[in-house]
Formats: sequence, structure tokens, C-alpha cells
Amino acid sequence: MSETQNLSLELKRMIIETLELEDITPDDIEPDAPLFGEGLGLDSIDALEIGLALQKHYGIKLDAEAEETRQHFTSLNALQALVEQRRVS
Amino acid sequence: MMNLLLEDWLAWSADEMHFMLDSHHDLSCRQGPEPPLPAMLRRRLDATGRAVSDVLTLLDPEQTYPIVHASRHGDVKSSLAMLQALAANEPLSPAKFSMSVHNAVLGVHSIARNNTRSMQALAACGEELDAMLLEAAGYLLEGHEAVLAIFSDGAMPDAFQAQGVGSSGASCVGLRLSLRHGRQLKAEATGERAEPTPLDVARWLAHGGELQARQRWSLA
Repeated sequence: MSETQNLSLELKRMIIETLELEDITPDDIEPDAPLFGEGLGLDSIDALEIGLALQKHYGIKLDAEAEETRQHFTSLNALQALVEQRRVS
Repeated sequence: MMNLLLEDWLAWSADEMHFMLDSHHDLSCRQGPEPPLPAMLRRRLDATGRAVSDVLTLLDPEQTYPIVHASRHGDVKSSLAMLQALAANEPLSPAKFSMSVHNAVLGVHSIARNNTRSMQALAACGEELDAMLLEAAGYLLEGHEAVLAIFSDGAMPDAFQAQGVGSSGASCVGLRLSLRHGRQLKAEATGERAEPTPLDVARWLAHGGELQARQRWSLA
């Protein structure tokens, strides 16, 4: 498995565990599908929870008000690009 | 007091109940409500919260009656976990924090079941039974046909053992009350006082007779 695939799976597992998505498996999360609203159907509390998880796991601090934060949260692929670019560890 | 009548009731416990309970009154023997709680909302509730929502739905499938939810401690396990996180200077989980208000279970139930009736959450330092029945009586006197009164608590974390606060483990008991038919609930002031848990209330409803709370309750 490539490093990119590894990170993708790691992020899916982080999302499932952090958000207690009991009926969802990593395969259910489409890399390009929206995470919020349509698609996975996450809500605003989930967004805060993912922000906290990114900080804990990768040392990434995001500004909750910034427009670019919205961009980072559109899909799993967008999150992955963020982590590859900004991870501290 | 008025003629408060018990139409139906339903109990749930995470642990064995240690008393005889007719299968009609035991949530674990009943088929759950259809449709079940949507997964994206269910995940926000612990086992007790899920049981509360299921009991409320089974006692009032049409979502018609006001609800009074009494809980002495609420989701005390999560509350303690958040206090410990704060003490360790760790950030709080936004989801846990959002669920830490006392009416959080009713909020999720309301969204999941599209129920916009009056809902009330209360805590009463061990006097939950009296408080919720008094509130229920108020709704009935206002003209509501029936009221749901539900009493729940989660398991008490070990850290609270030394405080000597009573708990019957994760459990709940829900009552549908009215003025029209059912078994009569009567209260009598005796000067004594006890702090029944949800399971004490379920045992009383199953066996009949009397239950000492802030007042002494009897079931005809």
C-alpha cells in the first residue's frame, strides 16, 4: 500500500472513530464525496470534532472562521491534501 | 391531589433487573420502534439515552403527548470525563460538550422523531419521582389528554462511590399518565423521605403497593 493510500485509510479511521460512526466502514467513505450535508451527512459539531482531531493527530491548527477551512473540509481528498501539506509530525 | 392515572409503562435496565417484570413492560422483550433511530443521531446517545427515546416512542407512537424527562445525574460518565479533560488542560470534545446539557436526550429525540410537542428536562436531587409526577399533573390540568413521564440515569462512575449517591446502574422507566383511565397513583406525606432510583420505581410499578419518595406513593 502506498503512503497516500495509508494516509487515506488513516484519515477514514480517524473520522469513524472520532465521530462514533457506528454503521460506517472505511470503504463507505468515498474520497471525493462531500463529507457534510449530502454524502456522508456530517453536521457542524462533527466539523469541530474533526478540527480537534487534526490538531491532536497532526498538529494542524485551523481557523474555524476562515473560508479556506471550509475548502479543507469538503471531502476526504481535500482533508488528505491538507494533512500532507501541513502535518507537523 | 388530583386523580392521577397510570395508563401504561415501560422499563429498561443495562443490567439484570432482579425482579419479575411482565414482558409487556420490559423494553428488552419488546420490538423496537419502527423506524429505528437514524444512525447519525443515535450515535450521539449512550445506551440510556437510546432506551429513553425508544420507551417514549413505544408509549406514544403518534408523538402526541408532552414529555417530562427526569434524571438525577444525566450522562454523568461524560460529565466526569469532560471535567477530567479540563483538569488535564486537554480540549473538550465538541460533541460531548453539546450533549452535556440536561435536555440533550430530549433534543435528539425531538429531532429524530420530528416531535415538536412540549418537552421538559429536570433534576431534583433524589426527588425526581415526585417532581416529574407533579409536572405531569400540571400538564394534565392544563388539558392535555395524556403525558409521558420518564426517569432515567446512567451508571455511576467509580469516582463517585465515596459520595454515597444512590444509583441503580444504567436504567430508565417511562409512564404514560392521564386523568381518564388506568391505575390510580396516590401520594401521602409521611414525614419520611427516600430517594428511589429508576429501577426502584420499575420494581414498584411491577409489584404494586407503596413506594417512599419525598412523599409515600401508592398504586391502586
